[in-house]
Amino acid sequence: MFLQHLVNALSVGSVYALLAIGYNMVYGILEQLNFAHGDVYAVGCFVVYSLIFSGVNPFLAIGCGMLTGFLLNVLVERFAYRPLRGAGRIAPTISAVGIAYIMRNVIQLVWGAETYPFDLGILKVSSFKVGGVMIGTLQIYILVIALTLMLLISLALKYTKWGQAIICISQSIPTASLMGIPVNRVIAIIYGLGAVLGVIGGVLFCSYYQFIFIGIGFSYGTMKAWMASIWGGIGSLKGAVMGAMVLGLTEVLISAYVSSIYRDLFVWAIFIIFILIRPKGLFPAQVAEKI
Amino acid sequence: MNQNKMKKLLPLAVLGIAVATMPLYITNSYALKIICNVMLYSIITLSINLIVGFCGQLDFGRAAFAGLGAYFSAIMFTKVGVPFIAAFIGGGVFAALCGAMLGMLCRYTSFDYLTLITIGFGEIVRRIFLNWQSVTNGSFGMSTQRPSFFGVTLKSHQSMFYFSLVLLVISYIVIRRITRSKMGRAFQAIRDDPIAAAYTGIHVPNYKVICFTVGSFFTGIAGAAMAHYTMFTAPTNYTTDESLIMLQMAILGGLGSLPGSIIGTIILVVGPEISRSFYQYRLLFMGVLMVALMLFAPNGLFGRHGIKDQLVAYYRRIRGKTAKGGGNNG
Repeated sequence: MFLQHLVNALSVGSVYALLAIGYNMVYGILEQLNFAHGDVYAVGCFVVYSLIFSGVNPFLAIGCGMLTGFLLNVLVERFAYRPLRGAGRIAPTISAVGIAYIMRNVIQLVWGAETYPFDLGILKVSSFKVGGVMIGTLQIYILVIALTLMLLISLALKYTKWGQAIICISQSIPTASLMGIPVNRVIAIIYGLGAVLGVIGGVLFCSYYQFIFIGIGFSYGTMKAWMASIWGGIGSLKGAVMGAMVLGLTEVLISAYVSSIYRDLFVWAIFIIFILIRPKGLFPAQVAEKI
Repeated sequence: MNQNKMKKLLPLAVLGIAVATMPLYITNSYALKIICNVMLYSIITLSINLIVGFCGQLDFGRAAFAGLGAYFSAIMFTKVGVPFIAAFIGGGVFAALCGAMLGMLCRYTSFDYLTLITIGFGEIVRRIFLNWQSVTNGSFGMSTQRPSFFGVTLKSHQSMFYFSLVLLVISYIVIRRITRSKMGRAFQAIRDDPIAAAYTGIHVPNYKVICFTVGSFFTGIAGAAMAHYTMFTAPTNYTTDESLIMLQMAILGGLGSLPGSIIGTIILVVGPEISRSFYQYRLLFMGVLMVALMLFAPNGLFGRHGIKDQLVAYYRRIRGKTAKGGGNNG
């Protein structure tokens, strides 16, 4: 039974990991709370849902959803975050909360607040048994996609010019602009990519749970991704994946062995105690600290 | 000098009389109910202003403290049978104790972590309200009674109006005194620069704990009063969204300005009541308001260099009159 719980935890964790990678990119690089992350990619996910519902090829639909997320987040960055870049910490956070509200209301007005069944129709969902443990194929796909994305992004950050520019910006924005890096364009692209990763994560999240509703944005998106990012270590992609796994493991084990009603309560309590003891997370980023 | 003081006091006195006699000329009980709501929400907004505006700690879990005060007072008064005044003050004290605990937890943490811990705390508290059914009656919420002092129950809206008014005036005066005391100056120093504050001999962690304790007391009192006024309390009233709306009231009025808090509360409580069909677009409106405020007037209506100050400066420039003396701020 414990092994089964472990497998479940791994699959829940890999779903969270996909969401956390996108979140952690923006959060780690700009050190700015992005409250709107979840709600922006939720719009993309609903676009995917609508397109699939009207019979468009799933791959094309996902592409359109990713494009929507990218454009939305670039626009939001341009008009709501960029003017506030040097304005302390409260102003950008409140602005992001405002964007989250706007996006949530847009979803509510266009698609309504109901829960819809969600099925991509490309990933054959089946399961097989290994020594008494049920493993779903979808869970394996999600884990593989999460790890591949993590690997690709870390390689891109390390070996491409754009990646190095992003790392430079994360260390110091004034220095980066002195080195001739187009800071505004790179930051806009980081936000856009964050939303693209969010849409991928959101679509897989929805196909894992087989439904889509308005709450995938904030309570299942932003909050879980934020917790996973801090748990694993801000600004490190490996940390985001590991943090998500730990989050999934904690959730599954607590609902299995302690109490399923009080699951969120215990997860939050453990989380708060953890970040008080180790605020940098499990795997802090290997970047020289700004002092 | 004396005449100057008179000039300043006269509008205040007129306003005071106008507010105090409100139940005489507003007889519509629906309107009175909204006014009571405004006053009780104002107390919460003032406490948020103390924590966010004066001490600079971005707290996203205020609604939970209103809930703690409300549930404690309701349970003590209705189920245990404690006299109202003890249950009511007890609600505030209980919220203050929880605030002190939260303050202890985030004594050494800075911005992002503090925000996350307050959200987590709010979520934990809401889960307890939802699931501890034997005490809180779970998601159905629990009903309670109107306040009663020494055998007199405040049944009418008019009596509740005066109850809320007295509560608001006391809270306003106490919070105003706090912000102008040594403690308030310490809070502002922490907001402006914690490191510099520490070097001037301010014990930053201790003052943060004090700030959360005092703020939570007022939030709890207001929450308890709301629960007794509506005679009902349920976990859906204490979500993170509710906290954000309360925070938005303080930000709209202007962080660091106490009269601004009350104005912000009036706008955001009365606004949605004017048109019910507006309810559908409530979040959109709030979101646009938040972003626009942050972009064009991050200090709100009455904060330092806020919209009011800008308008006054513009008016003076047009009149070609030089500024004389300090404006009233506070």
